[in-house]
Amino acid sequence: MPRNLFRCWIRVRGVTLPLFSLAFNLSKNLPTKMTGTDQSSFLGRISIRRNQVNAMEGYHEQEIEDLELFQKQLSDRFAELLSAPDDAPTEAFLSISWIRKLVDVFLCCETECKAILLMERDAAQISKPPLDRLIPELLERVVKAMDICNAVTNGLELVRHCQKLAEIAVSALEQKPFGEGQARRAKKALVSLMSAMHVDDKESSVQKTAERSWSFGRRSGNKDRHHGHYRSLSWQVAKHWSASKQIHAMTMNLAAPRGPEASCLPAPVYILSLIIVFVMWVLIAAIPCQERSGLTTHLPINKHVNWTHSLASIHDKIGEEWKKKEKKGMAGLLYEMQKMEKLGQSLIEFTDSYQFPGEKEKLDEVAAQVAELAEVCRRMDEGLVPLQMLIREAFHRLVRNRTEFLDVLEQGGPVV
Amino acid sequence: MDECQSAIPAHDGDLHVVAAAHHIVKALGTTKNLSDDLRKILIDLDAHLSLITSNIDSKGGKGFVEVEERLKRVERKIVIWESDRIMIWDSGPKEASDYLEAVDEVQTLIDSLRGLSMNENQKQKELLHRASSLLQMAMSRLEEELIHMLVKHKQQSEPTYIPSPSSQRNVVYNESVVSLDNESAKEASSKNSCSDECGEYIVDLVPEHVIPDIKSIAKVMFASDYGQEFCEAFIGVRKEALEQHFDILENGKLSIEDLLKMEWCSLSTEMNKWTWSMKIIFGVYLMSEKRLCDQVLGEFGSVNSFCFLEIAKTTILCLLNFGEAIAMGPQEPEKLLRLLDMYETLADLVIDIDALFSEDGGSFVRLEFHKLLEGLADSVKAAFNAFGVAVSSNGSLYPFPGGGVHPLSKYVMNYISMFPEYCSTLNLLLEDQHSDVASLVSEPQCGPTASLSTSCPMACHLRSITSSLESNLHKKSKLYKDEALQHIFLMNNLHYMVQKVKGSELRPFFGDEWIRKHNAKFQQHEMNYERVTWSSVVLLLKDDNPGSSSLSKSTFKEMCKGFSIAFEEVYKNQTSWCIPDPQLREDLRISTSLKVVHAYRTFLGRNPAHVDDKCIKHTVEDVEKLLFGLFEGSPRSLRNSRRMMKT
Repeated sequence: MPRNLFRCWIRVRGVTLPLFSLAFNLSKNLPTKMTGTDQSSFLGRISIRRNQVNAMEGYHEQEIEDLELFQKQLSDRFAELLSAPDDAPTEAFLSISWIRKLVDVFLCCETECKAILLMERDAAQISKPPLDRLIPELLERVVKAMDICNAVTNGLELVRHCQKLAEIAVSALEQKPFGEGQARRAKKALVSLMSAMHVDDKESSVQKTAERSWSFGRRSGNKDRHHGHYRSLSWQVAKHWSASKQIHAMTMNLAAPRGPEASCLPAPVYILSLIIVFVMWVLIAAIPCQERSGLTTHLPINKHVNWTHSLASIHDKIGEEWKKKEKKGMAGLLYEMQKMEKLGQSLIEFTDSYQFPGEKEKLDEVAAQVAELAEVCRRMDEGLVPLQMLIREAFHRLVRNRTEFLDVLEQGGPVV
Repeated sequence: MDECQSAIPAHDGDLHVVAAAHHIVKALGTTKNLSDDLRKILIDLDAHLSLITSNIDSKGGKGFVEVEERLKRVERKIVIWESDRIMIWDSGPKEASDYLEAVDEVQTLIDSLRGLSMNENQKQKELLHRASSLLQMAMSRLEEELIHMLVKHKQQSEPTYIPSPSSQRNVVYNESVVSLDNESAKEASSKNSCSDECGEYIVDLVPEHVIPDIKSIAKVMFASDYGQEFCEAFIGVRKEALEQHFDILENGKLSIEDLLKMEWCSLSTEMNKWTWSMKIIFGVYLMSEKRLCDQVLGEFGSVNSFCFLEIAKTTILCLLNFGEAIAMGPQEPEKLLRLLDMYETLADLVIDIDALFSEDGGSFVRLEFHKLLEGLADSVKAAFNAFGVAVSSNGSLYPFPGGGVHPLSKYVMNYISMFPEYCSTLNLLLEDQHSDVASLVSEPQCGPTASLSTSCPMACHLRSITSSLESNLHKKSKLYKDEALQHIFLMNNLHYMVQKVKGSELRPFFGDEWIRKHNAKFQQHEMNYERVTWSSVVLLLKDDNPGSSSLSKSTFKEMCKGFSIAFEEVYKNQTSWCIPDPQLREDLRISTSLKVVHAYRTFLGRNPAHVDDKCIKHTVEDVEKLLFGLFEGSPRSLRNSRRMMKT
């Protein structure tokens, strides 16, 4: 079996590195400890194994073992994600830091899947059926995922806008003594926050609001213009683009391999596909983006294999939440946004009826809420930009992933 | 102010001192020609001293009478606008400055009231509360005024001097090597360049005279701790304005998926739009936006760069994503020029981008564009290589009719004649692949005549491409069964290449040596053609016994007949052949004529006795005329042409 030397090299963050340094680089760059060490040893193992058994019998058994190890790691990672508390000041389920962890898991998984699929492998194997169909399908999903990354990046801008408005409210509410002027200031910011949050992601309304200009008559009751600019065209990925339709298209033909295929190359292709779809689905559910109505709550997860248990539980949990909240029209399931919405609502009520100097008891209660809101703002301030960067990195990774697969396909002869 | 607070007098005797100081301050305040800063200080001092006085008074039970009076005065000034539908800044500069003064006064009162120790004074608390509410009212109003002002003047400042992209967009070279079987190679299009016309061009996004008004609002809002509100409003309007400009540039929003599936023609248009938009958005709008931010927010530190980034971000991401989609797409040869345009545009802009986003927050933008530039460089290289591969691998099943200039030659030569415009970029990008190619096309005879232009990476690549083209043409020539036509075909195409090189910017990159060599090559084919076609024909007229004076009649007749048949055969064939270049056609006819007519005339001249109409089918003049009918690309039979000649 001809083995090309180049496949001992692998591209990491845009740089081509020999394998032995890959392990080091990955563990250095990975933001979460949870995955770093595991991964480097895993990749090292594959490469050593592949080098040792190249000429030997029993190659297939080794591959099965690699795959099992990989699935075990996936299972552990998703179990850890599932174990996040529902409501906690930090690291809560669907919080910014949780989503960062999820994207990290995706990045690790992507590297490992690619290692299993491409490292030391003869290109001809990749271009044989059924892979000649599965890989192009995977690449279509990859392209769709790139657009979703961009949509989510736009959505995070809206979240940051909410953060800014909440910060104004916090700084007004923290004033001592707290007068009616500050109450009005806080209310104004909170009302803007609420309408920014309940931005309708449907295209029709995007167009409608885009047409609405800033030229308003004074006092024309146009109280929500404060966030008008976030409803403009910049919000869009493309005309008629729909996040939920993309997810739907990505789940087409996504079926777990059965029988003997389940233990060979179709398996990692399925795993990678499923994880891409799953992660994109979570991002769309959590972060506002263009046209999410009708977002499916069903993903074709094969529940008969061990590693998907935690993933399926996470999926069910988020799906339930989505069903509950979807009809209300909302900014997404992001923990911080949910928290912000609740606190904002309650603080609007407070500012509505506030009369100077207010009752001590009520003021203390509000002070606690304000502190909570300030904490949410702080977490957003810390986490949103890194999350945006991480999603950008995922985007670049998908681009590179596609190029690498295309290169191999090209080598393997005429496919597609 | 802080020092003053600690000096609140405790004794009645001090009251006199305070009163005296107050008096002096008031007197100073009436002085004309005071600087604004100094006047502000005096007003503050005045307010503070009157507070001290009233504070002392309050112990005597009189309360903050004067403060309350002042508050009531400004309250009237501020509240009166609440019921008015007209904007303050639209009403006139006097109204605006009065309003700002009133806000200043409220701020001063608040500062002073805060500065005093509370002493559980209910009146003081109440006044502070009233003043804060008043301030909130004013700030909310100022925010509206700001938005109104920005929106109103934004609409008036549409720059009109920027031509629409459609008028700028030049003819696009949309041909692809794959679709060459029909004769459709277009003549060269010129490079899509407009760097000279626009460059960096800063415009007033908001008219100059409005800036001080915006600044005055900024100052007051920041001073009252309403800076966040100011930023949100400012960012909101400016961001939308930038997006509108972006829209005007006809950038339809496209997903990566759409772009990867797009037909080349539409994609080429989109790539042109991108190139144009990048120049306008970065070179004009973002430069101008940056200046506006500097003017308005320059004195507020990092707020300035934060606002600028927020305004620019979404538009930039949009441009960035388009670039990414192009850089990841398959790099077909026809994309090369558009990719070069994109690369050059971005390469020109990176310095500006680095300067615009020099702060930490913008490092992401800088990094992404540098990454994109690398990606585009790779794409250019890939497309260039794909072009080379396409040139050498373009295959045909059937011989090109007539042996004329093949579309591939036209396509390649026209396409590469545009490369010199991208010379420096191509030299830069092809540098690393230079050595491989250079050894392939090295011309040993270059020696002393070799110049910088013939040895640069682009020159080597150009010659490597034309040499691939030559070998491909040789392959194509083998499709002709007739050897003479093979030579005509090669002669035509090589001649075309030489002409293209001589008559374009390509010349310095190929050098005189190349031209000489290729002239010799096509001339060789010319000679070979003559040899293959005419040698045997002329041989028919050759005398076997050069010694004897004349031939026997029957031999003469036989030879005449043989010549006629051979000549007619050639004529029938070669009138359908084609030499598109008139000069080349003429030259070949003349040299053929010299050879054939000369031989024929000699033959006839040596046998004057037998010359009569019955033997001789064609006179010398006929042959001469007929030879001039060759290579016109329209087949003729001799019968027709003879009749034609007779009439």
